[in-house]
Amino acid sequence: MTDKPTQQAIGIFTTDTQLIVHTWDSWLAQATGIPAELIQLQPLALIVPDLEARGLLRRFQQVLDDGVVVVLASALHHYLLPCPPQTPSRHFEMMQQHVTIAPLRDHEQIVGTLVTIEDITARREREYDLADALASPDEYTRLRAAQTLADKAEAPAQMLIETLGDSSWRVRQVAASGLAQRADSQMIGQLASALRSDHRNPSVLNSALQALAFSKEDSSGPLIGLLHSADADLRGYVVLALGEHNSPQVRQALSQALADPDMNVRYHAIEALGKVQAIEAVDKLIRIAESDDFFLAFPALDALAKIGDPHVAARIVPLLGNQLLALPAADALGQLGDLEVVAPLATLLNMPAPPTITIVQALAAIYDRYEVWYGEGALIIERLQQMLTAAGVHNLINALTTTQAEQLPLLAQVLGWLEGPAIERELTRLLAQPAVRAEIVDALVKQGTPVIELLIEQLDAEDQETRLAAMIALGRIGTPRAVPALISLLSAEAQLASVAASALAKIGDRRAFEPLLGLLGQPSASVRQAAIGALNSLGHPDLAARAGALLQADDPYVRESAVKIVGYFGYPAFVPAMLERCSDPDQRVRSAAIEHLPFFEHPGVIQALSDGLQDRIPAVRIASARAFGYIDDPQALHHLIRALEDQDAWVRYNAVRSIGRKDAIEALDALLLLAQTDVAQQVRIIAVEVLGRIAGASALPLMSTLATSDDLALARAAISALGTINHPDAQALLLKHLDTSDPARRVAVIAALGTYHSVEALLSLKQFASMEADSPLAQAAVAALARVPTSESINILVELISQPARREAIIATLAHLGAEQIDLIGRGLEHRQVEVRRAIVEVLERMKHYRASEYIGAALGDPEPTVRLAAAVALGRLGSQAANRLLEALAQSDPDAAIRQAARTALQR
Amino acid sequence: MQFYADSLSLPPGTFVILRDLIHERTGLFYEDSKRDILANKLSPRVIERGFDSFLDYYYLLKYDDTAANEWNEVMDALSVPETFFWREIDAVHALVNLLVPQWQATYGHTPLRIWSAACATGEEPLTIALALEEAGWFERLPIELYASDASPAAIAVARRGLYRKRSFRTLPHTLQAKYFTETAAGWQVAPELHARVHWATANITVPAGIATLATAPIIFCRNVFLYFSPQAIQRTVHLFGERMAAPGYLFIGVAESLLRHTNMFELRELGGAFVYVKR
Repeated sequence: MTDKPTQQAIGIFTTDTQLIVHTWDSWLAQATGIPAELIQLQPLALIVPDLEARGLLRRFQQVLDDGVVVVLASALHHYLLPCPPQTPSRHFEMMQQHVTIAPLRDHEQIVGTLVTIEDITARREREYDLADALASPDEYTRLRAAQTLADKAEAPAQMLIETLGDSSWRVRQVAASGLAQRADSQMIGQLASALRSDHRNPSVLNSALQALAFSKEDSSGPLIGLLHSADADLRGYVVLALGEHNSPQVRQALSQALADPDMNVRYHAIEALGKVQAIEAVDKLIRIAESDDFFLAFPALDALAKIGDPHVAARIVPLLGNQLLALPAADALGQLGDLEVVAPLATLLNMPAPPTITIVQALAAIYDRYEVWYGEGALIIERLQQMLTAAGVHNLINALTTTQAEQLPLLAQVLGWLEGPAIERELTRLLAQPAVRAEIVDALVKQGTPVIELLIEQLDAEDQETRLAAMIALGRIGTPRAVPALISLLSAEAQLASVAASALAKIGDRRAFEPLLGLLGQPSASVRQAAIGALNSLGHPDLAARAGALLQADDPYVRESAVKIVGYFGYPAFVPAMLERCSDPDQRVRSAAIEHLPFFEHPGVIQALSDGLQDRIPAVRIASARAFGYIDDPQALHHLIRALEDQDAWVRYNAVRSIGRKDAIEALDALLLLAQTDVAQQVRIIAVEVLGRIAGASALPLMSTLATSDDLALARAAISALGTINHPDAQALLLKHLDTSDPARRVAVIAALGTYHSVEALLSLKQFASMEADSPLAQAAVAALARVPTSESINILVELISQPARREAIIATLAHLGAEQIDLIGRGLEHRQVEVRRAIVEVLERMKHYRASEYIGAALGDPEPTVRLAAAVALGRLGSQAANRLLEALAQSDPDAAIRQAARTALQR
Repeated sequence: MQFYADSLSLPPGTFVILRDLIHERTGLFYEDSKRDILANKLSPRVIERGFDSFLDYYYLLKYDDTAANEWNEVMDALSVPETFFWREIDAVHALVNLLVPQWQATYGHTPLRIWSAACATGEEPLTIALALEEAGWFERLPIELYASDASPAAIAVARRGLYRKRSFRTLPHTLQAKYFTETAAGWQVAPELHARVHWATANITVPAGIATLATAPIIFCRNVFLYFSPQAIQRTVHLFGERMAAPGYLFIGVAESLLRHTNMFELRELGGAFVYVKR
């Protein structure tokens, strides 16, 4: 069955700059009754004689002059082209039209207008019906009408706004949510006006604020106007709503609201300033934090932390001495402080009863930043070690007994930076705590020699996990002192023995050689593998001879292990023995021998592998299929293609994988068949993956079909293959599959689109990247944009930095793009938004490259003081000679005293 | 912290699909931060099956004809064997001192079925049996005591009835001496007590496997929901609730709560213990 094509309801015509009609489509000809040949090259005024009188000429002129897109709202203008409705209407004599007038460009030049006319008569008819329903006394009827209105983007906003005052909260809720979804500037003005006149009605107040706060359109202008209201409650609500927006006007208005006579308004203004990361308000906020007004100082410190201007850290430090503010001050310092605040934090930690966990969190946060951004976390540790007294250490250890489980890892991390018997004892004791075990192992490894005996004691701990952790730590420390104890654990149960073997491998002590050889016949495959790995890494001179001899051992496990060792090193002397083991009576030995044959050069290898493919045991055939993947001989492919018909799914799976390793186009037909029809899904999936790499456009129809498979793994593989194929048609298919309602598939499609750079692909990625920052779709889109960076994709990422919620993620993404992208990223310093330019400075700083530093140097000339400040701070941290020269110049010549001071401070470090 | 070979890594993408598959089949949920723990537990199985990647092992579990057997191995690998006799004993006291007498008073000699639904290596059902034995209930009332776990290896240990010292950390010495005999390999439970329990392997998230067991009016399912996702808890409790008669009594661990997961049960205090009672 095929769907009937929907009746077209849109017509398009174009004009030149003189509004002479140039093109006129068939829909318009049919709707107006004027054929194209009559109207072409005629003035538009010929068919719209009242163009000027209705104010429409002015709108056309606006499009031509300013290059903006103008929409003629149907509620106001009703129509552009006077013509009767296409079907009889109960309410209208003229067709109701939604009109969009866009500039027509030839490259950068505007050469006319492009006008789309949409027939919305039927829709307007429905609106009339809805208006009747909204006036119904029945709540359910009104609710259904409101829902219908909210779901229809084209429904007039005013109807929904009026619904905000409905007596039913259900109806109001639906209306507010509908308005937020599609607020435009006109509607926002209407909402603000409703607020002003009706804010004492809590129904209207709450619903309208909700709609404004979450609207996609900028609603800040009308809201700012409401800050002049005499009603403090309304001002408070408005300030909260403004916190959902971010523009220079909003930040300025919120800054001014800090002087509001009402305390609650000021409180909300502080919160909102933090939310919009208003760098301009930093000075005012720090003054509030320094005031004795604790009610406002708390949110001010929180806002400063959110804004993240590091230069304010020095003024927060003294607040650590204030008993009431020490905790939020430490918290803020953790978020925006640097090396310089470690000493004051340590000093506070040395005092009696400090806010230990908050300080620990702050120190750990600063350390993480230094380590992740610059690889210089050691500086933080060094400074803390210098400043912390015995009392500070005592406070940290005491906190172990009072700290909640989720904060223990941070405490353990900071303790691990310190030294001394008490610290060592406590860290070792914490090994028994599952929540912090990984951090404690890291910390103990850092401690090294002093904790070795304590760790050896833990090898006898009652709890197995503790023993395992102690073994891992001893292995990483690499101490020969632990060798006897670890050797004794080789005879313990499987997991302990495996980890002991791995630890001995890391230590590399040859005393372990014989005991490890003794494990080669263990029934547990994990233990044997760990023992083999350890023996291979010990580098014992006798290994070749001993392993060679064990190829003939009675125990098949031992023979299998010996085969793996001999195969790993590829000892040429043992080729005959290895070939012999390919016929071993034990299938494990045969499999291992066959799998290691590719590492030997011998004419008998191909025949042995070919024989292996005929073995009656699937595991041996699997080993052959894997091994052939590493053989360059053309015969290998021939055997692998044959193996695609093996009755065992895993043989076919591994044969496909090996073919994929060779990118063998000769197997195309066989792979296409497997991808479509194999009874084992894993075989279809691997075939799809390989086809994605080798098939090109010929696999597109199949991939598109499989992308809708009920099996998500198969669908994902097909979608990913559409990305790998890198063909314009594949891109079109991916864009089509973006319509899927399954979020997991959509994430896969977005990831696959990262290969493509067309306008459509980039627009789609931009759209998804702009969604909620924590949405998997948004994260996938950001990753896709960064996958193959181009000037366009980097521009999109740069634009996204302006959204506070995704600032950090995008900065991190851009900073990892590599030096070749520095020029493209550096162009972000010309962005119109101050926050974006500041963020770009941060990206360039993290790149730690001399060319990135040159761009940061250029940012010292930015007209915006906060950008210059960020650049100065960044150059100070980078600390190169070139940076110092720039800072010296800045310290002399910057027009802003605060920046001259910042430059001097940076130079002193 | 990685216990297994460096060469066998569990990449984030594979972790997510493997974790989700395990969650779907077992109810056990591994947060992103537990990736190493899952890898540590399953790497021996990956190696044992001759795979060199977790992705291949995932395909085995999801698609292979032999996956049913491998899922038993998975349950063994993921099971948490940490349990002991006389653990959270208030619930057992409530059973012995209140619920069993109440049953007898209401239903006379109708057999009473009790199910220990996630019994691990058997310490919980044996504790129940021991407490009922001490109170003399087996002489006065036909009691059917069933115990199951999703891990065949754990049930095998339970069937052997041989325990190490750690299992006795809170059991009174007199009871240990009365019902267990020390041997070279550990402490062997008295055959008469051991025979009171009917052992079975059953996954509590699979309706078919527990259809009969869950009709018991008293279910102990303690310290297992700690490892479940909220969805898996809801699913499992719903399975119980659908099959239990009203009033049915569901005991869960002291660190667990069902209040956010179901309205089929009502929380009540019973002799110092908390129990969820089917409405």
